[in-house]
Amino acid sequence: MGTAMGTEKARRSVWRLGYVIPRLLAVVCLVDIGLRFMSIDPFTFRAWEALLRDRPPGAAFEPNRRYYNARSYGDLAALGNFPELRQYRPEQFTTDALGFRNAPEILDEEVGAILAGDSFAVGSGVSDDETLSSRLGALMGCPVYNAGSDAGRVVPDEILALARRLHLRRRLVIRLYTEGASVPALPTRREMLTSRLVDRTPAEVRALAGRLRGLITVSPLRSLSGRAWKAVDDGRILPNRYAANVVRATLYNGDTMLFQAAQVTSFYRRPDLSLDYWKWLRDDLEQAGVDLVVVLVPGKYAVYRPFLVRQPPAGRGAGDYLDRLERALQVMGVPVLNLAPFLKAEVARHLERGEYLYWLDDIHWNARGIALAAAAIREQWPLAASSCAPGRVESAGDGRSIGK
Amino acid sequence: MLFNSLGFLYAFLPITYVVFWRLTGKMPRYVWLAITGYVFYSFWNYKFCSLMLFSTLASYLAGLGFLRWQNPALRRLCVTLPIALDLALLGFFKYANFAARSINGISLWFGGTSALPILDIVLPIGISFYTFHTITYILDAYRGVITPTRNFFKFAAYVSLFSQLVAGPIVRFRQIEQDFENIDRADRTADVNTGWSFFVIGMLEKVLIADTIAAVIDPALARYSELSTLSAWLCVAGFAYQVYFDFAGYSDMAVGLGYMLGFRLPQNFNSPYKATDIADLWRRWHISLSSFFRDYVYIPLGGSRGSRFLTARNLILTMMLVGLWHGASWTYVVFGAYQGLLLVLHRVVRTRWERLPLWTRRTATFGLWLLGLAIFRASGFDMAFTLLEKMLTWHAGAGIVGAGVLIVMLVLSAAIAHWAPNTFEIRHRWSQSWVTGFAVLFGICLFVLYGSRPAPYIYFQF
Repeated sequence: MGTAMGTEKARRSVWRLGYVIPRLLAVVCLVDIGLRFMSIDPFTFRAWEALLRDRPPGAAFEPNRRYYNARSYGDLAALGNFPELRQYRPEQFTTDALGFRNAPEILDEEVGAILAGDSFAVGSGVSDDETLSSRLGALMGCPVYNAGSDAGRVVPDEILALARRLHLRRRLVIRLYTEGASVPALPTRREMLTSRLVDRTPAEVRALAGRLRGLITVSPLRSLSGRAWKAVDDGRILPNRYAANVVRATLYNGDTMLFQAAQVTSFYRRPDLSLDYWKWLRDDLEQAGVDLVVVLVPGKYAVYRPFLVRQPPAGRGAGDYLDRLERALQVMGVPVLNLAPFLKAEVARHLERGEYLYWLDDIHWNARGIALAAAAIREQWPLAASSCAPGRVESAGDGRSIGK
Repeated sequence: MLFNSLGFLYAFLPITYVVFWRLTGKMPRYVWLAITGYVFYSFWNYKFCSLMLFSTLASYLAGLGFLRWQNPALRRLCVTLPIALDLALLGFFKYANFAARSINGISLWFGGTSALPILDIVLPIGISFYTFHTITYILDAYRGVITPTRNFFKFAAYVSLFSQLVAGPIVRFRQIEQDFENIDRADRTADVNTGWSFFVIGMLEKVLIADTIAAVIDPALARYSELSTLSAWLCVAGFAYQVYFDFAGYSDMAVGLGYMLGFRLPQNFNSPYKATDIADLWRRWHISLSSFFRDYVYIPLGGSRGSRFLTARNLILTMMLVGLWHGASWTYVVFGAYQGLLLVLHRVVRTRWERLPLWTRRTATFGLWLLGLAIFRASGFDMAFTLLEKMLTWHAGAGIVGAGVLIVMLVLSAAIAHWAPNTFEIRHRWSQSWVTGFAVLFGICLFVLYGSRPAPYIYFQF
């Protein structure tokens, strides 16, 4: 009897909010922590987020990873929460031991050049064999090392550190710069110091730091809940609060294309060229005996704007950033290729056939756009298989450069 | 830091709670509460901690002055100087640009060229609340209502008590002085269930009701010129429940947190939508603010002791200040003036009004409140006029995305706000099934908080 009363009292004492809610909080917190030790691949719609989580300092992605998603789709469709506009495609994404998007064996091979830049250089949205570095490698006849990263920050020290680790046949850096990306700036003293410190830190320690950062900052439970929210905020049950991140526009052929809202806004601005950065990059690389060539990639909005049914009037100077930068780089004697005129012409030609050079649902260019860009680069700087041999790239008076 | 954020729930609250109850003695607990208050505040902008410390020091020294001096002139100095400093800080951070814009506008109106500079000022969060805490302390000490404390940390803990720091309620020192005095004898288990009950209900009000309504009406109101008459009414009614559940939810969470630490904070909302007239509504709505203005503005102005005209003047003036307290915008002043006019009108027709059936009075009061809220919610007079025009004359127009969800939430909100007992009327002793229900709903709140950034409280901007 006494035991029964005791049990009853205990049972009653458990059903109090002061008992239940703190424990519920503790349980949810533990579930959150536990899930952080699991792979986040099932919660991701593309490789980017999955491979960024455990990225060690100084690397672009988690090293030695192979990610495959048969139904990957575009970042803008995700950003604006437009499931009906997703373009599903398979995506294979492989990283090497240094944490860059390359086949692991590239570290044992002789490399013809380093490709540095942002997500356009990495090849967001396409598979390993469709990236710009893969295409250039195939055209040149020797591998091109893909050193593209999320931040798109290209610093001479980091490039040179990378060059020391690779078997470079030719000391050549192809710097890809995308319109709409943040204007490059000289790193601060602190950033330089951090960069040097990272370079000297053993790989194991960096891997651990990356893992710890991933555990702290990435919560699969948050991703799961975010997805659930997106299903409700679909513009029918609840207003789509993500839609403002993206501009949804109609092309003259009736197709719907998405643009990043920030990119559309920045098209109508005139940012500074930040020539200090480019001089610094050129001088430091030159001092280390490394050749620099620059490839300027137009933003999706700049390329497709002329083909939109409705387009806001462009004021004087709108969208001329790459042209100005190209001229400035030519004056500085940096070999440069501005892909804007070429891609704009190609877009017009392909649009008539219903083909695209950029994904409809993504900020980035697609495999076709990349292949065309690689061919244009190859044509500009005819680096044939033989040119993979050691040599220098020289700038002609008009800014065009040739392999020698 | 927000009460409805994971950082607060997983780190700040457990650490504050456990350390508080581990400490014994008054002084360590005062010090700990003061520290936690400043840490809590520093999550917004640590630079403004110095502002709060300055205001606290000035008021504390004024209190010491009252204890030391009986000379009326010195006592007057002790009351005017710190209050002037408090009001100067509030005036600079909250109203300087408003004043400059208004003067520039008036100057332009008369063809002048005055161009007072608009300063780049960041409004310190909660400044309207903690300066009012210190003002009530100084005035009550001056009037002899309270005995000022000699313990700086006790006073600092009162001003920076995290549960009431950034969005009230405006708790007067005398209301929790007893709890501060008995802080070393507080029983951890005595009110912990009541505290959690208040906290959970407040969280549900904020996350599940207010934020869901906001998710529908905010995008609709952003395109207010396209709304139909029905949509305009739905949006404004939605806002009425959103602002109520947002702020009442915050107040309930504050009260709950107070209970967890042994403080009994006063009631801030007493079912205002059950009010039968506008005066009744203001006695029930944001009680700590309306009683502040009643005690420290309306009554010193003469209250209702003078002629009808003077009473009307006092009411309208006080309510305009209430409006202005909410924000540096003329729409708030007009909102206040409208409330003042309604209070004056109510005084004129009170006898006839009270003969009306109860439901008529309640409905009419709520309807008049809604018209005021259209002004309150508007970002400017254009929006206010458009909303009122759409509400009062027939307009076809765009529907609202999520109207179905909004209607469900309005029905639920109305049932709770107009008919259900409020959190101070319930006993907070829940059966097993209620506890299970609350736990499930709280779990849903957590899941919601994981998927979206916590929405700030509407009253934070004030």
